[in-house]
Amino acid sequence: MKKLLTLAFLVVLTALIVSCATPTPTPVPPTKAPEPTKAPAQPTAAPQPTKAPEPTKAPAALDGAALLQERCSTCHNLDRVKSATKSKDQWTATVERMISKGAKLNDAEKSALIEYLAKTYGAAAAPAEPIKIGFFSPLTGPTAADGQSALNAAKLAVKFINDAGGVNGRKLELINYDDAGKPDQAASVARKLIESDKVVAAISGAYSGPTRAAAPVFQQAGVVMLSAYAIHPDITKTGDKIFRIGTLATIQGRVGAELVAKNLKAKKVAILTIDNDFGVSLTAGFKEQAAKLGLEIVFEQKYPFGEKDFRPIIEKMKPLNPDAVYATGYFAEAAQLVAQAKDAGLKAQIVGQEGYDSPQFIKLAGANAEGVIITTDLNRDSKEAMTQKFLTEYKKAYNEDADMVGASAFDAVQVLAYALKQGTTTDAIQKAILGLKNFKDCATGPFLYYDASRELVRPVSSQIVKNGKFTFYAEFTDPKLIAP
Amino acid sequence: MSIAQNLSNAMVLASTYILIAIGLTMVYGVLKVLHIAHAGVYASGAFIGLIAFNFAREFFTPLLEDARLASNLSFWFSLPIAMLVAGVMGVLIYLLVYRYTWGKSPTISLVASVGLFTLIQDLLQKPFLLGPRQQPYPAGGAGMPRIETPWFTLTPTQVLILVVTLVLLAIVYFILNRTRIGLGWQAAALDPEMAAAVGVNVTRVILLNFFIGSMLAGAAGVLVGVYDNMVFATMGDVPSYKAFVVVVLGGLGSVAGTIVAGIVLAIAETFMVAFAGSLMPRDAIAFLVLILLLMFRPRGLLGRA
Repeated sequence: MKKLLTLAFLVVLTALIVSCATPTPTPVPPTKAPEPTKAPAQPTAAPQPTKAPEPTKAPAALDGAALLQERCSTCHNLDRVKSATKSKDQWTATVERMISKGAKLNDAEKSALIEYLAKTYGAAAAPAEPIKIGFFSPLTGPTAADGQSALNAAKLAVKFINDAGGVNGRKLELINYDDAGKPDQAASVARKLIESDKVVAAISGAYSGPTRAAAPVFQQAGVVMLSAYAIHPDITKTGDKIFRIGTLATIQGRVGAELVAKNLKAKKVAILTIDNDFGVSLTAGFKEQAAKLGLEIVFEQKYPFGEKDFRPIIEKMKPLNPDAVYATGYFAEAAQLVAQAKDAGLKAQIVGQEGYDSPQFIKLAGANAEGVIITTDLNRDSKEAMTQKFLTEYKKAYNEDADMVGASAFDAVQVLAYALKQGTTTDAIQKAILGLKNFKDCATGPFLYYDASRELVRPVSSQIVKNGKFTFYAEFTDPKLIAP
Repeated sequence: MSIAQNLSNAMVLASTYILIAIGLTMVYGVLKVLHIAHAGVYASGAFIGLIAFNFAREFFTPLLEDARLASNLSFWFSLPIAMLVAGVMGVLIYLLVYRYTWGKSPTISLVASVGLFTLIQDLLQKPFLLGPRQQPYPAGGAGMPRIETPWFTLTPTQVLILVVTLVLLAIVYFILNRTRIGLGWQAAALDPEMAAAVGVNVTRVILLNFFIGSMLAGAAGVLVGVYDNMVFATMGDVPSYKAFVVVVLGGLGSVAGTIVAGIVLAIAETFMVAFAGSLMPRDAIAFLVLILLLMFRPRGLLGRA
C-alpha cells in the first residue's frame, strides 16, 4: 500500500515535471496560411490529355468555373489551382503554359478562364502569406510580469491590425519567444527569429540588458529591430537597423530634473540609482540637467536590482533633508522604497520614472503610493483616440489595467505595421520609420518624428498617483529638452 | 538615532534569515545534504499563506464588519496553515527524493535538490498558482503595536516578525533539547548509524526534522511576504544561496551557530549599505563576510572541530 502511494506520488510528480518542461515561450500559433506558391507553379509530369474536349461544346456564356472544372481537371486535380494565389499576369503565364502542354482552349475560353482565375485565386482575393514579425520578452524569471504585459499588448496590436484588414491585405503574424530576462538567451532568441523563423523585422519587449545583447544580432543580419521600452542609449547606437519607441533614458532623466527643479521647486535632491543599464543612464541624464538648473545633489547611492530593504539607505538620507528623492528602479523596488520611506518618516517628495509605471506599483505600495510623481511615456488622460482605445481594449482583453511597458510594445507593433505598409524590405522599413511624422496611431503618442540617431522625439508625460490611480501631472514639450 | 535604528532594522532582517536557515541546518545536520529546494518551500509557504489570508479575509470581513480586525485575524489564521502545508511539503520532499538519494554521493542529492527547486519555482509561476506577478500580502502588523523609543522605532510589522521568530525559536529550542525526539535528533546528527544502533528511530527523527525545518521556512515566507507586502514565485532565488551563507557561517549543522550567524550577517549587511554605500551590493557583502570568517574560523562561528 505504502509503495503504491509512493508510486502514485511519483506519477503525479512526473506529470508536473512534464507540464513544467513544456516550453512556455511557444510561438503564437500561426493561423495556418495557405501554402505559399512558387510562381509559376511547375506541373509535375502532367499527362497529355487523352480526351480533348471540343471547344465548340463550350457553354455559351463561357463560365470560368465550368471551364476550370471541365478542361483543367482532365489532366491534373484542381487542388493545385485552388491553393494558388497569383496575379492576372501570373495566371496568364500558367494558362499559356498549360495550352502548350496540350490543354484545349480557344482564345475566348482562355481569357474567360484567366479572368475567372485571377478573380477567384488572385493576389487580392485570397489571403496572402502573413508577414512574420519577431518578438521577445521575459516570460519567466523575476521580470516575467513586464514581459507578459508587453506580449499581451503586442498581441492586442496585431489583432487590431489584422481585424482592420492587415497590412496591405496581408495578415501580421507575431512570433514570440521568452528571453527569461537574460542577455545570452536574448541573443540566441534573436538568431532563432532571424534564421529559422525568417522574420521581416523584430520587436524587443525586453529590458535594456537583453535588448543590448540582441541588437547586434539583428543589425548584422540586416533585420530591423524596434526596442519597445528598453531605454539604454547604446541600444540604438548599435547601428542603422535599430530603432526605439520608449523615450531615451538620458532624455527622461533630464525631464526628471526639470520636473524636480521647476514643477516641485526643489533645491536639494537625493538620487537613488538602480545598478543596471536602465538606472545608470537615467541618473546620468538627470545629473546633466540638474547641473544646468543648479540643483544641489545632497546624496547619491546605488542599489542592486531586486533590493527589498531600503531602510539603511533611508536612515542615511534622512538627516540630509532632501526636498526630493529621484529614485530610479522598477515597481517592485519602488513599492518597497515608498513604504519604507513613509515608515521612517522621510518627508521628501519621491520622483520616479517609467519603471514605476505599472498597476502593480499601486497594488503593492497601496496607500504609500499616493502622491508619488513619475515621468513616463503613457499619459492615461490623453485625448488621443488610440490611447483610450488601447486602455479600454487592453482591460477588456486581459482583465487588468495596461501599463507603460504594454503601451510601448503596442506602439512598437503599430509603428512597424505602418512601416510595413510602405514595403517589407529592410530598406523600405527603415525609410518609412525615419519618415514618420506626427504619428497618432499609437497609445503613447503623438510621435513627432525620428531623429537621425533613430530616437523617437515626442512629448514626455508625467503622472502623479492620486486616489490609487496614475493621473496627469505635467507634460514636457520643450524641443530642447525632449530631443536627443 | 541612526545606529540604533539600523540595529533594530537589522534584527528584523536577521529574524527572517534565521527562520529560513534553521531548516537547512537541521537537514544538513542529519542528512548532510545541501537542501536548495528549501527555498522553494519558503516561497510555497508564502504562497499558501497568501491564499489562506485572502480566503479568510473574504470570510471574516462581512462577518466582523471591521476590515482591520478581519485582516489581523486572517493573518493569524494564515500563518499556521502556511506552516503546516510547508511542513508537509518538506516531509514529502524527503519521502519522494532524499530518501532515495541518501547515502549515495552528495552530488546526487544536490542535483536533485536544484532540480526540485527549479520545478517548484516554475510551478509557482504558472498562472493557475501564483502567476508571474507579485501579489500583495497586506496583513500589516496583524494587531501588533508600534514601538517608539527615542533611539529607534519598530513598525507593527517589525514587531510581528520579532515576536513570531522568538516564539518559534523557543519552541524549536524546547523540542530539540527537552524532548526524547529532540535528543534523538542530536544523536542522529552526530552519527545516524550509531543512533539507530542504540534504538533511535532515525526515520522518525528525519521526518520530524524535515517537518519542523520546513515549517519554519513556511513561517519565514509568510513573514517576509507581509514585511515586503509582496509574494512572488521567484522570491526564493536569493534565499536559496544566502541561507547557505548563514548556515556555513554558523558552522554547518549548528542551530545556535545559525542564529548567531543570521544576526552577524544582517548587521554586517545593514551597516555596510549604510556606511560604505554603493561599494558593493548586499549579496556580495554576505559572501565577503563568509570568506573573511572562514579564513579565521574554517568551521564557522560555532562549528565543532
